[in-house]
Parts: sequence; structure tokens; C-alpha cells
Amino acid sequence: MIDLILFLLVGALLLLSLLFFTPGKPKGRKDAKPLAEVQQALDVLQFGLLSPDMVGRIFVKKDFDYVMSETTGEVQRLFLAERRRLALAWVEQVHRQIVSLRRFHLGSARFYSRLRFLTELRLAWDFATVLFTCRALRAAVYLRGPYAAPRLVGATTAAAARVCGVSEKYLDFLRPARMMSFGDDSAGGSVE
Amino acid sequence: MIHMALSTLGRLFTRSKSVDMPWPSLVMWCVGMVLEFLLLLRGFRGKTLARYPFFYAYIACALADDVSGYMQYWFKGWASYVKWFWLGEFLALIVGCGIILEVFRCVLSPYRGAERFARIAGFATFVVISTFALIYPHVMPASSHRGTMFELERDLRTVQAIFLVGLFGVIRYYGIPIGKNMRGMILGYGLNVAALLVGLTIRSYAGVPLPGTWNVIMQQASYGAAVLIWTTSLWSYHPNPVPDSSVRLEGDYEAFAARTRSTIGALRSHLARVAQP
Repeated sequence: MIDLILFLLVGALLLLSLLFFTPGKPKGRKDAKPLAEVQQALDVLQFGLLSPDMVGRIFVKKDFDYVMSETTGEVQRLFLAERRRLALAWVEQVHRQIVSLRRFHLGSARFYSRLRFLTELRLAWDFATVLFTCRALRAAVYLRGPYAAPRLVGATTAAAARVCGVSEKYLDFLRPARMMSFGDDSAGGSVE
Repeated sequence: MIHMALSTLGRLFTRSKSVDMPWPSLVMWCVGMVLEFLLLLRGFRGKTLARYPFFYAYIACALADDVSGYMQYWFKGWASYVKWFWLGEFLALIVGCGIILEVFRCVLSPYRGAERFARIAGFATFVVISTFALIYPHVMPASSHRGTMFELERDLRTVQAIFLVGLFGVIRYYGIPIGKNMRGMILGYGLNVAALLVGLTIRSYAGVPLPGTWNVIMQQASYGAAVLIWTTSLWSYHPNPVPDSSVRLEGDYEAFAARTRSTIGALRSHLARVAQP
């Protein structure tokens, strides 16, 4: 019975994957963004969104504790609503910049003939993880407020930082010295 | 393959026992042959035959197999056809790999990174197939010749299905655009393999059905649908979209040049200030 289920699952998986090909026109095109835009996304993440100061300011309960102890109920509600909005905006921005990095990576890595299989797998996993935790964090903040899931914030920040690190190496690799040879086989080295 | 639907336990059924094909199966078989012939004809006239040689080799094989199988069935009866069946089935399985090669050649070859990724994943799948082929006879005792063949084909189709899912995943993940011809080729073959796999699995589990039962009809219909998809999508030549990496690099070059110019400008003004007494 188990083998029946397994084989049928593989068949169903194949049928499901075919659904991605059914649209009439070519879809899912991922043209790489220009390097300058990607560098900007990376800067926004590394020096802005993921900086400990900003993450701490939004998600650490210090401000919240102060407001709770010093202000009235109306102010507290207002503070929480504002902080939730701010946290959601932060998550949204991180998600957007990560998607931008992923788009750039996929758009350029697909042409790179010396791409490393395991590195790509790891990176795919990292991208998937960070995007998933972003979604989970967004749901948690939306449902239970900005201080509901501090571990999830840590996980998101760590995963995003990891992706940034790899993307930074990739950008360094692509930059000026190798720029002219990118696109042909002569581009030496590899991104680890 | 449409004639896949005709596979039953040959030793149990003979023409003298009146196990003939039901008319819907015969109709679908004939329609399939006509479509295969039409596909080849269009490939020849529309000059797509030279562009997709592996795919058309598969179609030519399928047509030859269908015609010869049909003649076997018609003139010599069911039992004779069943002997013929497995040869054609495994030939189709092997030649069908040409379609995967065609996808590699036409879709992935301009994207060397994605091609490399898919090639390594394919190699891993090949290792799995080889390991499986070596271990299988020792793990599963061959209870009957027919059962082993069924299960072996099911297993090989499973590996093929896994490989196709991986290939589709790579194409999807790297956002590789696909033209109408290749899209149709992939859709048709994927549909056919999925239907074969489901049909073979059900047959292996529930026993071998007579021709005309629902899973046999489903397989016939799926192959008919696949040939129909191929005929419509390969009616004329539609090349794959050309990758536009050069356009992006031009944009990058402009951005870098602008950045360098602004840096040099800033340096010049700084130097000018320093130089002033």
C-alpha cells in the first residue's frame, strides 16, 4: 500500500509541476537587475534594515515597557498600533530586498558556466528560509503584535544576513575586473 | 503509447477466447497513428524535423511501433501482439529520453549555469537509476516474467518522472523563458509519463486489467492528448526567446561608468579646492 501511495504521489507531483507550464505565453521570466540596483538593495539591508540598532529599536521591548509604565491606556494603544505598523513595514521591506537579491542572483547565475551545485542548493535553501520566515513573522506581527515572536525576528535577521553575505561575495566576484568577461566561459573563479 | 493500453496478461488471453480490443481503444489507437503521421509530415514540411531531431526520432519510433503492433494484432491475434508489446514499450522508454535531451539542447543550452545545475541533478538521478537496477533483482524476487516487466517499467517511469520534475523545477527556478514548441513538447511528454506512471502503478497493485478498463482508457486518452498537444504546438516553428543578458550588462556598464565619472568629478573638485591658496 505504501509503495502504491508513493508512486501515485510521484505521478501527482509530475502533473502538478506541469501546471506551471500551462499558461499560454512564456512566464516566470527573471531578467537580472542591474548591478547598481542590487548593490543598493544590499546596502539597504546591511546598513539599514538589518542593523542591530534598527532591529533593536523596532522589536526590543524597552520602548514598550517605558510607554506601559508612564502613559495612559489610549497612548499605549496608539503606541502598539504604530509599532505594529512599523514592524510590518520593516518585514515588508526586508522581503522586498531579499526578493530583489534573489532575482539578481538567479538572473546572472543561470548564465554562469562554473556554477557550483551545492552552493546553489544552499543558497536556494537560504532564500527559501528567509522568505518563509519573513512571511511567518508578518503573520505573527499582524496577529499578535510586534513583540510576539522575538525568536522569529532573530531567525529572519540571521537568515537575511547570511543571504546578504553570499550576495556580497557574488557582487564582488562580478564587479569591475571580471565585468568584461562575464557572460563567456573565460570568467574564472567561483562563488562559494 | 496508445498501444500501452493493450497490455494484458498474454498467457491468459488469446484471440480464441474473444478478448478483443473494445472499439474506443481501437479508435484511439488509429487516431494516434494518424496524428503521429501528421506530426511527422508537418515536421518535414515545416522544417522543424531538423531542429528537433530527437523528438521526431521518438515520434517516428512510436509510429513504427504502433503500425507494426497493429498489424501483429490484426493478422496474428492478441497473443502474438503481446509478445511484441514489451519490445516496443522499452524502446519507447529509451527513445523517449531523447525528448529530455531535446529540452537540454534547446532550452537550457544558452543558460550554461542552469544547464550545469540540471546536468548534475540528472547525473544524480542516473546514479539512482543504476543503483536501483543493480539492487532490484536481489531485493525483489521475480515472481513472474510479466510482473517483473510491469514493475520494472513502473520504476523506470518513476525515475523519469522524478527527473522531469527536477528539470521543470530548474527551468522554473531560473525563470528560463520557453517558446511554444518546447512548451508543447514538455507538456505532452510530461502528461504522458505521468499518466503511464499512474496507470502502471494501479495495474501493479490491483492486477492486470482487461483492455478497456478505466485506467487503460485514461492512458490511451492521455497519450492521445499528448500527441494532440504536440501536433498543435509543433505545427510551425516557434523559437525559444533569446536570453537578454547583453542588455542587462549594457545597463550595468552604464551604471558603473556613471559612478566612475561622478567619483572622478568629486576628486577633481576636491583637488581644485586643495590646489587653491
